[in-house]
Amino acid sequence: MRENMFDIVKSILLTLLILFFLEVINTALMPIVGLSNYYLAFNILVVLFIGFRVNSSYQALYIFIIQYFHSFFTVEGWEIGTIAGILICVIISYMKEILHFINFITTIFVTYIFQLVWFVVAAGLIYLKTEDVAYVSDKFWRFLIEASIMSILAPWFFFILEKIWKVEDDNSLKKSF
Amino acid sequence: MTPLEQQNKRAKIIINFIIFLLALISFSRRDDAIDKTSFVENIMIDSFAPVQRTVFFVRNRINFYFSHYLANIEASKKNVELKTKIEELDGQLFQYQEVIKENQRLKQLLGFAEVLKVERVMAQVVSRDSSSDFRVIRINKGFSDGIRLQSPVVTTKGLVGYIFRLTDHFADVITILDQNNRVDGLVERTRSHGIIEGDLGDVALMKYVSRTEPVILNDKIITSGLGNVYPKGILIGHISKIEREGYGITQKIEITPGVDFGRLEEVIVLTSSYSDEKKKEWTALDDQDESGQKDLR
Repeated sequence: MRENMFDIVKSILLTLLILFFLEVINTALMPIVGLSNYYLAFNILVVLFIGFRVNSSYQALYIFIIQYFHSFFTVEGWEIGTIAGILICVIISYMKEILHFINFITTIFVTYIFQLVWFVVAAGLIYLKTEDVAYVSDKFWRFLIEASIMSILAPWFFFILEKIWKVEDDNSLKKSF
Repeated sequence: MTPLEQQNKRAKIIINFIIFLLALISFSRRDDAIDKTSFVENIMIDSFAPVQRTVFFVRNRINFYFSHYLANIEASKKNVELKTKIEELDGQLFQYQEVIKENQRLKQLLGFAEVLKVERVMAQVVSRDSSSDFRVIRINKGFSDGIRLQSPVVTTKGLVGYIFRLTDHFADVITILDQNNRVDGLVERTRSHGIIEGDLGDVALMKYVSRTEPVILNDKIITSGLGNVYPKGILIGHISKIEREGYGITQKIEITPGVDFGRLEEVIVLTSSYSDEKKKEWTALDDQDESGQKDLR
């Protein structure tokens, strides 16, 4: 278990830097190519990576930091993502033995499935607050497209994050590249 | 499992539980109408937004270059058209000025209250929200420029939205295309009331308009002034689709906003006296409510 404080802080800062770069592209540059209705939520990928690959007691704290940082770029807030992220990490902890990321296809598939779990949790919370089914169904159709693109990007994204978080084991994506 | 692993597992459960609980509490207490920024958020948004502004500026310059230099084939033709239009508008403007004067005279005669003085703050759009669930834009003016939470935001083409989140130098505007924004609107021709809600696409929906109301396509929709957020009479858009079912008591109306949100670069924030007046009204309403409750006790 990696508990070296300096390494952790360094990994988090580098991850936030990448997230910052991607958020700026998302918010300021993407609308130029007509992508105003679809946005790629890279924060979800970072949180999923933490759940899949970072084995630490402070997982929830990392998720909170990522989501809080994300909230500077959206009015969505940090809460929904943090709740969804922690629940996903709990699910992953019970499935660790059967989840493998040794090739592109499995990584894409597993990422897609857990993005669906994320959607179910987030949609459930939104429904509890708004009681608006139309809002949730609208979100679902956009989510399907966004999640597909995110899943395809996941292997490359996870590969970079593996380098940053220095994750190297039998499950590493390194073998696929 | 070794004692150290057991200890780590216990710590993980405790941290998970605490952060999960904090997130749940914060989520349940979250206000959908406004978002008051914390000290950290204020600093961080003010630090990051300039980068977004720079990227947005570069993006706009590239856009400008393509649309004004490379794709500018019919410029002289358009110039003649515009000059003719300006002459027409000048004539109309003169008539309107006369109408304004007449209106002021009549108001004085009838003893109407003076129209609220609204101050305007020009702002530039610097970015959009990073979630597709929201139609929110970030502008480069904030609290230090006189902007307050829930200040209405407009352009010359119509209503944009209101200030949802505010820092010292930047503000987030929740647009009328967002599903969390509801505007009390009025069909200008028939004076029929309805609530305009965003649909997350390029159009908004006007709800709760009785199906007996004789609205037609291209009818103008304006703000009604109810709800204490937007002043009365701001153009929201035009009716672009009407669906009347054989059942039900309302009709489904789709509105194309006057503002082209895809090309939005500059906006005007209405501030000062208007916000202050609103605040006074709210305080008065709260006081009234409290005194009413005391009477009941």
